[in-house]
Amino acid sequence: MLSALNLRKVYVTKEKQGAFRTRKKEVVAVKSLDLEIQPGEIVGLLGINGAGKTTTIKMLSTLLMPTAGSIVIDGIDALKEPMKVKKIVNMIAGGERMLYWRLTARENLSYFGSLYGISGKALKERISVLLKEVDLEEAADTPVERYSKGMKQRLQIARGLINDPSYLFLDEPTLGLDAPIAKHLREHIRDLAVQEGKGILLTSHYLSEVEALCERVYIIDQGELVLHDTPKKIIHDVAAGDLLSVWVSELPDKTLESLTEMLLPFEASLTVVDQRDGVELRVQSKMEVTARVLQLLFEHGVHLQRLEVEKPKLEDAILKLAGRDVVGRETA
Amino acid sequence: MKGLWCVLWSEIKKSHRLNFHSTLIYFSLLVWPAITYVSAYYSFKPFNLGAQSPLNRFFSSDKIGVFLLTGYLGYIFFWSLVQSAWQMSFERYSGTIELIFLSPVSRLGVIYGRAAADLLEGVWLFCTFALLAAALVSGIHVAGWWSIPLGLLVLVVSAVIWGGFLNVIFLFSRDSGFLYTVLDEPMLIFSGVRIPVAAMPFWGKAVALVFPLTYVLQILRELVIEGMGFIRILPSLGVLLAVLTLLFLLSGRLAILAERHAQKTGNLTLF
Repeated sequence: MLSALNLRKVYVTKEKQGAFRTRKKEVVAVKSLDLEIQPGEIVGLLGINGAGKTTTIKMLSTLLMPTAGSIVIDGIDALKEPMKVKKIVNMIAGGERMLYWRLTARENLSYFGSLYGISGKALKERISVLLKEVDLEEAADTPVERYSKGMKQRLQIARGLINDPSYLFLDEPTLGLDAPIAKHLREHIRDLAVQEGKGILLTSHYLSEVEALCERVYIIDQGELVLHDTPKKIIHDVAAGDLLSVWVSELPDKTLESLTEMLLPFEASLTVVDQRDGVELRVQSKMEVTARVLQLLFEHGVHLQRLEVEKPKLEDAILKLAGRDVVGRETA
Repeated sequence: MKGLWCVLWSEIKKSHRLNFHSTLIYFSLLVWPAITYVSAYYSFKPFNLGAQSPLNRFFSSDKIGVFLLTGYLGYIFFWSLVQSAWQMSFERYSGTIELIFLSPVSRLGVIYGRAAADLLEGVWLFCTFALLAAALVSGIHVAGWWSIPLGLLVLVVSAVIWGGFLNVIFLFSRDSGFLYTVLDEPMLIFSGVRIPVAAMPFWGKAVALVFPLTYVLQILRELVIEGMGFIRILPSLGVLLAVLTLLFLLSGRLAILAERHAQKTGNLTLF
């Protein structure tokens, strides 16, 4: 298990004060963060830009030293014995950097494998398995500079798995990829957790990706934990609830009054939008109101043209959270 | 040891594929140093190099060819590693430096592996040229057949340790490129590549002490120009060993500090 407690990271930067003078300035990237990843689990780390996601990942992967706090991975103190931890973790970032472009996929993997002390037959076998896993067997001996973005990203995945890590940190792994390739990668990430038992921490701007893959999600804002739960629970607690859209040919005033009155106890929002060929009713509530709304419309003899129910997404919850400050007050 | 060899071999392969991907590069590795050597040789010709020449106090004019040949051979060895360290900025730019630090690999293994790899690739051609040219220039005087291999060994080991030190310096900051300028001409002038260190004023001799190349050229010339035996070069070898040990220890310490600095500031991502 990976366990991080009270993680804090403060950067000291220099700010220019005129032509020659500089002033030291402290920037708190992560304030106080507790985080846990179990083997075989995919955990999401979300936040708006500058929330401290990448800093957190780099602290967990030993690339950055926390200013305070502790990180223990499978019983090893990452701050005291980083070299031991480096053997069981790896990190994959999105984008096209972090590869040697003049080298082929096989040469890249061979080099990075040697950094983990893997050599000879074991390294060759590991490279073959990984190239097959990421579907790069045919392009294995082509220089990376001739690869498409998707191929480079798949090679990044293979590179991150070269040491068969127990914990994998994925920082925007599908950034800028075409939808089919991103989907393929998501499936691969799920397999890594489910079939190979790897603990995975995922940050992504594609919230549908996080919702689809992660069992738990940490939401951080300005380096502080705002919320931690399952995506389903976060959506339920934060988002406004199901959005029911009903298109009717006409809406008598009396029906609208009854509807407003009926929805009062359900803390639902009701919006009426005049459309070209009728009226659209939008009802949003955390509680189940669909059956009641329909029943009322039937009782009033209103003719229904169309009906849609839209489930809230993780994105809706994040957008709502982004509109609050960290103590949860709605901004004006 | 197996792990270290594995890293070294990987660095050699990587360096070869990254930096020596075209036959034109090999051509330049021979042509540029050879032209520099020939130009230095002929720049002495218009001057009076006879018995009244001030240079004659330090070496006889018939030995200019071999003096410059040993000087440039040493310089190319050391200079190729300044270039190699400078290319560390490429590792920053491509983000691969972070991946090296993400792994548990021996930091000194990578640093010296990189230096050794770039050295072997960068100098073998000029080295071959120098050995062939040595047959044509006058003034070579060796105590035994072993003098030349010993000289080359001293040169390789010293250059790798120097290269490792430079690689560590470039780990500290993306702005270490100034060393490229600082180490080029001063090393060429003060290490005794073209002019004997003994011919320099006091302050010049003091600057010469900073460059390990000074000590290496001293030994190389003792071996192939003055024909000294192993016992006679021991004092110079002892001084060089002390300098290299200091450089090695300093590199080890600086490598630890560079990694700590990067962990504290996150500067490895800056390029």
